[in-house]
Parts: sequence; structure tokens; C-alpha cells
Amino acid sequence: MHEIGVRETVQFAGLTFNWETLVMTWITMAIVLLIAFLASRNLKLVPTGTQNVVEMLIVWLREQVANNLGARGDFLSPLVITLFLFLVISNWLGLVPQMASPTNDLNTTLGLALLMVLIVHVLGLYMKGMHYVKHFFQPVPLFVVINAIEEVAKPITLSFRLFGNIMAGEILIIILLKLVPIWMPIPSVIWLAFSIFIGGVQAFIFTSLSLAYLANAVKEDEEE
Amino acid sequence: MIDINATLIAQMLNFLILVVLLRAVAYKPIVKMLKEREDNIANNLKQAEDDKAEAKKALEQYQAQLADARVQAQEIMDKAEKRARDEKAAKLQETNQEIAQMKEAAQQEIQREQARAVEKLKGDMVTLSLAAAQKIVSKNIDVAENEALISEFIDQLDKNKIGDLPC
Repeated sequence: MHEIGVRETVQFAGLTFNWETLVMTWITMAIVLLIAFLASRNLKLVPTGTQNVVEMLIVWLREQVANNLGARGDFLSPLVITLFLFLVISNWLGLVPQMASPTNDLNTTLGLALLMVLIVHVLGLYMKGMHYVKHFFQPVPLFVVINAIEEVAKPITLSFRLFGNIMAGEILIIILLKLVPIWMPIPSVIWLAFSIFIGGVQAFIFTSLSLAYLANAVKEDEEE
Repeated sequence: MIDINATLIAQMLNFLILVVLLRAVAYKPIVKMLKEREDNIANNLKQAEDDKAEAKKALEQYQAQLADARVQAQEIMDKAEKRARDEKAAKLQETNQEIAQMKEAAQQEIQREQARAVEKLKGDMVTLSLAAAQKIVSKNIDVAENEALISEFIDQLDKNKIGDLPC
């Protein structure tokens, strides 16, 4: 059991890395890839087993993408699907003994949030041009202040929400194990079950908020 | 607990790598397969629709053919009946003709027989008359005179009558 809040760091090329987070991220990536590989290894027109589950997930997320981004946003489906799968597996990985969630490190969540916001702005400029810049100054130019604050708030809220939820969950698991005697496992079990639920919900929230931000940049404006 | 360092950049890169890998390994084949399935279902539905239309057409054709065949059968039956009736009439007429012919032949035969009988009766009558006359007269006059007497008697007989008997 590791000390809460203390991170093992490694130095590489003059930069500091959180070693545990990196290893857990790679494990998560491996699991996601394994699932994807198992699901797509033997594709059939009439689906069975793993293919069914992954297919359902993909169809559902593509539907979300289509609803939020319109027909133009279909090329972003792999990004959104990967985001959701990565976050779900990350969140659940911390519930396995001896493991930690990559998402319990602010570096991960803030990194993902910044990446999303970056993609949003780049896509907005690329797909809408000056029109995208103009919408920060609407309805009156003074609104640029509020809009700027909003844009800064987006990645911060996105990352801290996920980080806080997962970190708190893992801390509480450790605390419950220390507080409650070993013959009384019910609180831990309940909290674990709840954490599984939280992990799924937080992954979905992060994904759908990212989608909403992306919609702002990609979707055609109906009124103009 | 909250220390931002180079891990942030590494995580971004990790995630982007995962996106690229997942897209290649799973997303593309699965989406392609989904599209294939969609096409397949659409094709099958269209095929079923076509088959249905075709079956309906075939059924209509069969029904039309059946009706046609029924009409033809009726025609053939009517024709056969007519022919039978004609044949029957022809046969009847032929038979009637034959009967008439036979009747005529029989009539002729009868007339012939009658004539022969009359001739024979005439001959017999001469002999009988001679005998009778000989016995009644008992006196033989002259053969020549006898002959003349008898011939006169016979000539007086009606052609169609022998004595008072109709013939």
C-alpha cells in the first residue's frame, strides 16, 4: 500500500516523470488494445460474445458523436471512443489491489483536458476560420472577457472533476481498509461497487463534455 | 499531491498513440463490418421485396393461364359434344334411309311373288277348269272348241281378281 500523495519520480532527459502513472497508463493502454483486438480479431456479420459488447459501445458512442457533431464530425469518432474506453479502464484499474488509476494523477486528466481543448480550438479555426474567432466577441465585444474565462475554465473543471473523484475514491478505499477490521468487509465492498459506478459515470461525463466542446467547434451553425 | 511535471506531455502522447492504434486495430474494421451488415440487411430486404413482387406476378400469370385453360377445355368439350350430336344425326338418317330401302326392296319382292302366284294360278285354273268342264259336260265336243271356250272364260277374269277373291 503506497503512501497517499507521495509519488515516485524518475528523471529522464532533464525532465521529471511520475513513474507509477506512466506504468499504469501503459497497462491501461495494453488492456484497451487487448479488448479491441479480441473484439475485432474475428469479425462476423452476425456478432457474438465480445464483439457484441464492443460493437454496442462503438455504435452507442458513434450515435453520440453523430447527435452532437452532425455528419461532419464522424472523423472524430475514434478519438471519442478511445477517450471513453481509456478513461473507463483507467478508473477501474485503481480498484484492483496493487494497482493505481492513471487518472488519479492530475497530469493525466489535465493533459487529456488540455488536449481536448487544443483540438477544439484547432478544429474550430480550421473548419470555421474567422467565424470561429468572431463568436468569442458575441453578442457584444465586451463578452470576450467572459468567454476567455470560460475557455480557461473548461480544461480546469474537466480535469479536476475526474481527478478529484478518482483520487477521493482510492483514498477512501485505503482509509476504509485501515479503519474497519478485516472481518467486516461490507463497507469496503459497498464502496468498491460504488467506485465502479463512479468510474463509469466520470468517464462518460468527461467524454460527453468533450463532445459538447467539440460540437461548438465542428457543428455547422443553423442560424447563419 | 498536485505536482504538474513532464508526465502531462507524456500522457498526451500516450493517449494520441492509443487513438492511432485503436483506430487501426479496432475502429476501422468494426465500422467497415457495420457498414457491410447494413448493406447486407438492405440488400436482403430489397431482395425479399423483389421476390415478393415476382411471386405475385407469377401467381397472376398462373391464374390467367388456368382461366385460359378452363375456357379452352370448355371449348373442346363443346366441340366434341357437337360432333357427337352431328354424328348421331347422320347415323340416324343413314339408318332411316336403309330401312326405307329395305322396305322398298321387300315391297318389290312381294309384288314379284304376287305376280308369279297369279301366273301359276292362271295355269292351274286352266287345268282345273278343263277337268271340271269334262266332268260336267261328260260329252267331249271338240278339243279346239273346248280351248276357245276356256280361253274366253279366263279372259273374262279380272286382272286383279280370281273369281271374287281380291289378290
